[in-house]
Amino acid sequence: MAELFIELLSEEIPAKLQIEARKKIKQALDEKLQKSEIYFKSSSSYSTPKRLVFVIDGIPEKIEQKKKVIKGPKIDAPQVALEGFMKSNNLKKTNIYKKKIEKGEFYFADTKPKILNLLKEFQSIIPETLKTYSWKKSMKWSNYSLNWGRPLRSIVAIFNNKIVSFDFFHLKSGNQTLIESLNEEKIKKVSDFKSYLNILESENIVLDQEKRKKIILNKMNNICKLKNLKNKFSENLVEEVVNLVEKPNVILGKFDEIYLKIPKEILIVTMQQHQKYFPLFDENDKITNLFLLVANLSDKKGYIKIGNQKVVEARLSDAKFFWEKNKNQSLVKQVRKLKDLSFFNELGTFYDRTQRLRKLASLISEQLNLNKEKVEIASSICKVDLVSDLVGEYPELQGVMGKYFAAEQGFEPDVSLAISEHYLPKGIESEVPKKPISIAVSLIDKIDMLVGFFGINEKPTSSKDPFALRRNAIGLLRTIIENKLDVHLKDLINYSIVIYGEQNIKFKNNSITKEILNFLRERFKNLLKDKKIRNDIIEAVDVSHTGHDFLLLYKKCLIINKNISKDIVKNIIGTYKRASNIIDQELKDKKQEVSGQPESFLFKKDEEKNLYNKINEIRQYFTSTKKNESYDETLKILAGAKVTTDNFFDNVIVNDENLDIKKNRLELLQLFCKTYNNFIDFSKVEGV
Amino acid sequence: MSKKNKLNKKKTKPTPVNFQNTILNLQKFWGDYGCVILQPYDMEVGAGTFHPATTLRSLGPKSWKAAYVQPSRRPTDGRYGKNPNRLQHYYQFQVIVKPSPDDIKKIFLRSLSKIGINHNEHDIRFVEDDWESPTLGAAGRGWEVWCDGMEITQFTYFQQMAGIECNPVSVELTYGLERICMFTQKKSNVFELDWNDDGIKYKDVFHQAEKEFSSYNFEFANTESLLKNFEIAENECKFLLEKKLSLPAYDQCLKASHIFNLLDARGVIGVAQRTEYISRIRELAKGSGQCWLESQK
Repeated sequence: MAELFIELLSEEIPAKLQIEARKKIKQALDEKLQKSEIYFKSSSSYSTPKRLVFVIDGIPEKIEQKKKVIKGPKIDAPQVALEGFMKSNNLKKTNIYKKKIEKGEFYFADTKPKILNLLKEFQSIIPETLKTYSWKKSMKWSNYSLNWGRPLRSIVAIFNNKIVSFDFFHLKSGNQTLIESLNEEKIKKVSDFKSYLNILESENIVLDQEKRKKIILNKMNNICKLKNLKNKFSENLVEEVVNLVEKPNVILGKFDEIYLKIPKEILIVTMQQHQKYFPLFDENDKITNLFLLVANLSDKKGYIKIGNQKVVEARLSDAKFFWEKNKNQSLVKQVRKLKDLSFFNELGTFYDRTQRLRKLASLISEQLNLNKEKVEIASSICKVDLVSDLVGEYPELQGVMGKYFAAEQGFEPDVSLAISEHYLPKGIESEVPKKPISIAVSLIDKIDMLVGFFGINEKPTSSKDPFALRRNAIGLLRTIIENKLDVHLKDLINYSIVIYGEQNIKFKNNSITKEILNFLRERFKNLLKDKKIRNDIIEAVDVSHTGHDFLLLYKKCLIINKNISKDIVKNIIGTYKRASNIIDQELKDKKQEVSGQPESFLFKKDEEKNLYNKINEIRQYFTSTKKNESYDETLKILAGAKVTTDNFFDNVIVNDENLDIKKNRLELLQLFCKTYNNFIDFSKVEGV
Repeated sequence: MSKKNKLNKKKTKPTPVNFQNTILNLQKFWGDYGCVILQPYDMEVGAGTFHPATTLRSLGPKSWKAAYVQPSRRPTDGRYGKNPNRLQHYYQFQVIVKPSPDDIKKIFLRSLSKIGINHNEHDIRFVEDDWESPTLGAAGRGWEVWCDGMEITQFTYFQQMAGIECNPVSVELTYGLERICMFTQKKSNVFELDWNDDGIKYKDVFHQAEKEFSSYNFEFANTESLLKNFEIAENECKFLLEKKLSLPAYDQCLKASHIFNLLDARGVIGVAQRTEYISRIRELAKGSGQCWLESQK
């Protein structure tokens, strides 16, 4: 049994790219080997920032490919097919023969038994596999044409203690790896995976990512246990730091307690995002002045700990200075500072923007039945933190800082909260606001954005959306459906346009409302698709709905999607299709006009009358429910017509000799379909 | 650690490199390596990258090696000389090598030892930071180099400059000189750095400037005339591009860029409007880059 060992040495590959390459390249190698009928017992991959390593073990030293019969194209296939077959299998005319089988006469060939030259196989398999790997983010360097995650320095490839020699772009594979040390690089010869591990171990490099993770987590857990701290660490950060080091060393750091006075979000962002430290929390989830850092070196002289502590304290002292300065600067008084902060050229300043929000606040409060005063106050101050130093320093904390300032200045908790939550949702996974005041400010904030940018024709195109209006629209829709809100978007949009007008902001676009509603509609359909609702159902619901009540649309989609394979909906669609097929057939063949209403005096059979009565009953139902429509009930009623329709289809022949009667029957069926379409356009739903 | 221990340690260490020698050592090192040692560009720029020796020279097929110190102005970073870590004017040491050499990392680490950073005692890390300059229409792949958690250098392989693909690819090293010296001199306040070995400190050279320029940047810069000057520089740049004068045109682009930074510090540009200003400057940079590239043929 033999082993294939590959090391790709490069400059530091970022954690995410590294993890993906480690998994995907291994997978590609495995597949390629299997395809080439090279069997192996095990295959594994490892990585550090600089090294990607693949080890395939248990490969037989000798692989014999047995004689095989391979089938070619049919004998009457075009000549190129035969040539292709011969070329790809390396055959000569004398090798092939014709043979009849069940499906006709084909060309065949017998391959000779052969012993695979594995070293030679690998010489082509490895570079080919590497070439096909495509990085999520790649780069070029120097004057080479290779595109790789980070500059690739060398390739080691060894099979059964022998070099697998090949060219890969400007590089040549070999058996030497490099170890960085002070000012010099040590060149080390590798003969197999074991010798490679020995080399790394003597340099304290831990190749196996799982081992590194274990070392790091063990040490971190021990420290937490010792200090009575919670050992909950951000999983993403753990994954990242594991792949940022090759000689992991956990160090407990500390910063001055005075910094605990500043909002914890600042501490967390500073440590976690900026410094890649693990902030530590006590048993009551209170943040402490301790943190863990993972270094890539043992800290023999203690410099690393001291250095890192200094860095974080420097950052925090900056933040603390600003926090103390900003927290007492009255939000209300600072509203006028927003006059100097331009929102967008034609759309005025942030002051103008908050004035608009304040006006919209009264309409949304009415619609959602909220305390108008609170929504107005929150709207007026929700952007003030943008002029604070802290948000200048920590742009990701916009809103969050405003919330803290407001709380410090004695605003009511739900008003303070709305300042941070009106930015929600921040992404697809992020939560939507749930508290009433937050919801209200969030909605009008988004409407003001959409109306403004659509008004000046800065609309998103298929490739560009510089003002993130798509995300904005999706946030708006999610907030509505996830909170089950009954809002009148059209009124809000129209009022927003009026308010812009009052500020003398000139719009070039005359059909803003229509365009925004269409835009929302399109986004909404995408949102439904993401929620795994069938496309045809989305279409069916969309076409039938002329209003702009997205909550209603959503509920309809959900109920149909849920019941689509159940009898109740199957019955409805079955009946509907039976009727619509007859009409379609008639329209197609004879261009029979089916435009009018059925006349009861032309009914000849009871089943016709019964169906007509049933239809009217259903129509009655639709007009009477409107707002309070229960979709479960609607489905029951629509499905309940099955007996009547079945009777009709079983006993009435639409294609009557008398053309008037025939036309009348077609019109009856059409009325039936139209009635059903009140709910959703069933013709769009694909077969059951 | 007790005070006594600390003192003992200091005794065995060589005296840390002062600020001016840090610059001189880097110049010597990279000069010996074969770089053209240039002087700072004589205009207000936000970073060493803006020097035409980097932006324009990174375009086109010709090899190029240069190093220089560049005073960099970031008006929004002013703190009236009160913050121990922030300056609106500071120094970057910039190295640009085209095409990027295979052993550049090794050479870079060696350069650190010339300014007092021994990478066997300190945690030197290459942390992903794919640099992007929307104003220059530039993008690169690279890292922030951390030393015990502090960013000391930006290490970037240019992929695109002025909207043009780089081929061959240059590597750019940007050393943050004040930070490096704070680290090597073990100072927690930038103003306390030893500028030379004759008792002159950083504050003696720059403290007054920090105070006065912070006032100017944040309070007194005349926004109306700045807005006008922006337009003037923009038009001048476009005019010069028509005349195929890439270097003078690029100077006007630099001017527009600095004016934008001042306007930003005065807090008169909102988030959405920023995008618009930035794209206007980018157009100028792209024009200049294109024009320069054509002149190289």
